[in-house]
Amino acid sequence: MDTIVAESTSPVSAGAVGIVRLSGENALPLALRVFSSKEIASPDSVEPRKMILGMLRTDTLMDKAFCFYCKAPLSFTGEDVVEIQTHGGRAVIRSLIRTLVSFGARPALPGEFSKRAYLNGKLTLDAAEGIADLISARSEAEAMQAYRLLSGDLAKGIYASEERLTLALANLEVALDYPEELLEDTDTTCLGIVKSVLSDLKLLLAHSRDGKKIREGITVAIAGLPNAGKSSLLNALLKDERAIVTDIPGTTRDTLYETLEINGTPVNLVDTAGLRDTEDLIEKIGVAKAKDAINGADLVLLLEDGSVPQTKEEKELFLSLKNKKHIVVQSKSDAARYPREEADLCISSKTGENLGALLDRILADTGAKALADTAVLTRERHVFAVKKAVDALQCAVDNFFSVSPDCTAVDLRTACRALASITGDDVTEEVYEKIFSEFCVGK
Amino acid sequence: MNKTFDAIVIGGGHAGVEAAHALAAMGHNTLILSLTLDAIAFLACNPNIGGTGKGHLVKEIDALGGIMGILADKATIQTRMLNTGNGPAVQSLRAQVDKALYHRLAKAALETTPNLSILEGEATELLIENNTVKGIRTAMGDTYFAKAIILATGVYLDSRIIIGECIRETGPNGYIRSSKLSANLSRLGLSIRRFKTGTPARVLASSIDFSKMIPQYGDQGIPAFSYMTDYKVRNDYLCYLTYTNQTTHKIILDNLDKAPLYNGTISGIGPRYCPSIESKIVRFKDKERHQVFIEPEGADTTEMYVQGMSTSLPYDVQEKMLATIAGLENVKIMRYGYAIEYDCLDATEFYPTLQSKKIQGFFSAGQSNGSSGYEEAAAQGLMAGINAALYLEKREGLVLRRDQAYIGVLIDDLVTKGADEPYRMMTSRAEYRLQLRQDNADIRLTEIGRAVGLVKDDRYQKYLEHTAEIGRIQKMLSLTFSPDKIAEVFAMRGEPLPKSGLSAKDFLRRTALNADDLVKVSKEFAEVSPRALAYVETELKYEGYLEKQKREIREEARLEELALPADFDYDKVEGLLTEARQKLQKIKPLTIAQASRISGVTPADITVLIIYLKKKAAK
Repeated sequence: MDTIVAESTSPVSAGAVGIVRLSGENALPLALRVFSSKEIASPDSVEPRKMILGMLRTDTLMDKAFCFYCKAPLSFTGEDVVEIQTHGGRAVIRSLIRTLVSFGARPALPGEFSKRAYLNGKLTLDAAEGIADLISARSEAEAMQAYRLLSGDLAKGIYASEERLTLALANLEVALDYPEELLEDTDTTCLGIVKSVLSDLKLLLAHSRDGKKIREGITVAIAGLPNAGKSSLLNALLKDERAIVTDIPGTTRDTLYETLEINGTPVNLVDTAGLRDTEDLIEKIGVAKAKDAINGADLVLLLEDGSVPQTKEEKELFLSLKNKKHIVVQSKSDAARYPREEADLCISSKTGENLGALLDRILADTGAKALADTAVLTRERHVFAVKKAVDALQCAVDNFFSVSPDCTAVDLRTACRALASITGDDVTEEVYEKIFSEFCVGK
Repeated sequence: MNKTFDAIVIGGGHAGVEAAHALAAMGHNTLILSLTLDAIAFLACNPNIGGTGKGHLVKEIDALGGIMGILADKATIQTRMLNTGNGPAVQSLRAQVDKALYHRLAKAALETTPNLSILEGEATELLIENNTVKGIRTAMGDTYFAKAIILATGVYLDSRIIIGECIRETGPNGYIRSSKLSANLSRLGLSIRRFKTGTPARVLASSIDFSKMIPQYGDQGIPAFSYMTDYKVRNDYLCYLTYTNQTTHKIILDNLDKAPLYNGTISGIGPRYCPSIESKIVRFKDKERHQVFIEPEGADTTEMYVQGMSTSLPYDVQEKMLATIAGLENVKIMRYGYAIEYDCLDATEFYPTLQSKKIQGFFSAGQSNGSSGYEEAAAQGLMAGINAALYLEKREGLVLRRDQAYIGVLIDDLVTKGADEPYRMMTSRAEYRLQLRQDNADIRLTEIGRAVGLVKDDRYQKYLEHTAEIGRIQKMLSLTFSPDKIAEVFAMRGEPLPKSGLSAKDFLRRTALNADDLVKVSKEFAEVSPRALAYVETELKYEGYLEKQKREIREEARLEELALPADFDYDKVEGLLTEARQKLQKIKPLTIAQASRISGVTPADITVLIIYLKKKAAK
């Protein structure tokens, strides 16, 4: 079986830890391409069923992490399984999965770990009960999402590639199924089409690597002094009808992440700890993290509480954001007695005043609106599918003149099916449709 | 006369013949009932057997112990191997056959099959008790009893023949149709559908100017359909190629209002892959000409088949249209082309064993299942016959997998997806096409035919000899040739000569070299069976691609082993999406793998099913 990967942290109880699970014969070699530890000298030396502390390296980040290896058949699925435990947070998990996929892991389908467990006689009844419910809940949602994600230029690109590839395959297949009738119709452009689709898909993949922002969304940090109304704003934004909450809230220590989707663009909102000088050790850590969050954000919302006068700390905070893209938001406009002259917007989380305007500003200031219109593969599943298509087409092109057409057809069909896993088309039917609409065959 | 049988086959066409033969050969007292005994194994349309995909089916029927291949070889008058340049997987044998001879041979084969009774008659009613078949009633009012009944009525259920405005209520060739059974089947709760197909005119050879056409010769030295055929098949007849032209097209377009397909006379659904000439002209307006093949209907007749000109236009338009074609200027039509409409069943109401989901002991095969073609019919007839026999023996049914046989693809497509038009076998329907070759049909299937009891000792012995020979050749592959020994062949093929020696295995792997070249350089290989060597060569040349497909097959195979009970209640399974639930309830798949192929059933649904099975098993 091929090696599959997915986040295995339960979406309903996401916490400070995120777990990514790999299952399949290449689970361990794949894991060791992103995880290293002093305890691991070679793949053979990884001790099964032991938590190993080490370093995680993905395409975008480095962090400490734990690795846990279960050797087949003594694992959940009955196959080699590796679990990597990271600090929670969507960005880390997504980056890790994306990296593993780029090395050849396949994003698991809903319930696929359980399916493998069952096939290998590993699934317990208790586990089965819970999992079935979870999958059914998820699959409805995923069906909706898959539909929504395929819009705009990306969809056009994928559909166009699939369409042309289907035509190339139909060209090939019609010659195989009607060898006598095509003496004069035989199309020699098959290779040409395949080459051009291949280069288009390669470009799409390259863009997907550049399109980090679209994949992971834009990050907006909400900063301010304690009690400036940061959490209230966060909650109010979550309730805005344009904002769809796509992820379950999870806390990383004391920085709270929420991901919204605003007009189709994922927006990661980071609620930072109140920023102030403190002697309290725990709070000190929180403040340090908040500063990190601000540095890493694409945009900072600085909240200033209009119900109290401006303090020196607040002024300093404002000045510290001079070189950072920011919006100054005066909060609590319903109770504002001390207006701030530097404020760009006055809002009230309580009455909802100007919240819509704030969302518009966020999209405009981060350039997210423009980004959303760019054709970029956003999901690991899509990246995987396109990659698979690219590999198959490369194989078809490389071997075009050294193998017979029935072999080339295998590669083209693999590529068509990979793209069809995104579009949901039935390849066999599409090819027939093409054969009988493009060629006059049959006696 | 005895009125009680183990099984009754209704219909003596290609499906009926194989079904009756299989049942009787497996030891079951069988009755085959045909409307007209003169129409047993009647080739109602084109005078050939085989071709792409279809040739594979014939080989598979033969490998399982069916008779189509044996009959076709004996009736062959020209033979060709199609697709020789496109790779071994799609190479397909096609034979022009003598239609009358084919019929006589098939009838004789049935007459000499032990346990088989042949009767001319029309079945008008199925006798059913407790949703189980008991027998049939005939048009004369007589009754016959059996525990298994196979419907193989072809295009004869309530059929009508259409030529322009002339509509006759008959089957092909003026043979009588079956006019009561369809209504009876409908009353029994089976869904009835209306399909359409057609055939071109037959013309007199002496009225044709063959000098204006391109002769098409048979290929020499190619193997026969049947592994049992050890003589050289006849190969001395010619076909001819000519073309339509703009005048032909104009006549057709000018008369479209008289075309039953376009003026509303015909409501049945016709096949896309077998269009009438009027459809071709309408749909492909820009095409300047269409191919027309003139093919002999038999060895001792000068009636010729006009391949490519299927039509239901009025007689006078047919005359004018044919006369525009080079070589047919003075053509004399002997039989006019026609369209035929007929009733058939919905194959999704049948299990992959071809047994009905609604009536126990009732099977259906061939065009009555919505397929098209002699070979597709024979393949289903064979499987329905085998499964009816296994049913009588209370043994588990035989379902061939998609990676095992085209027959498996054909039946799975029919019962899982259903057919919106008459279904034709095409090689591109087989996702594991590279495995399903003509050269390995016996290796794939003969053991299976043996296990069910259809493959007799003589065929099995041949098969064992063949596999032993393959084993012997595989051991010889390590033989190594020195550079000077292979230099000549390499130079001829333009291959760079390796400096050190080369093993036979690496020799055969090379694209530019073939088994014939190997035989030239090695007297050891010159002595082996060419057929076994060809098999070994193909497996070697395809190794990489075959391995890719085998990996996919292995993954799918585990799902094939997970059985779903036929009476499974999908309403009780929580978590299935509505569309999937409805489809599953209708199709009633026998395995998880079959369930996964139903359109609208998602991977998540499959997991939900698997888990539900697990829960059920634990209780």
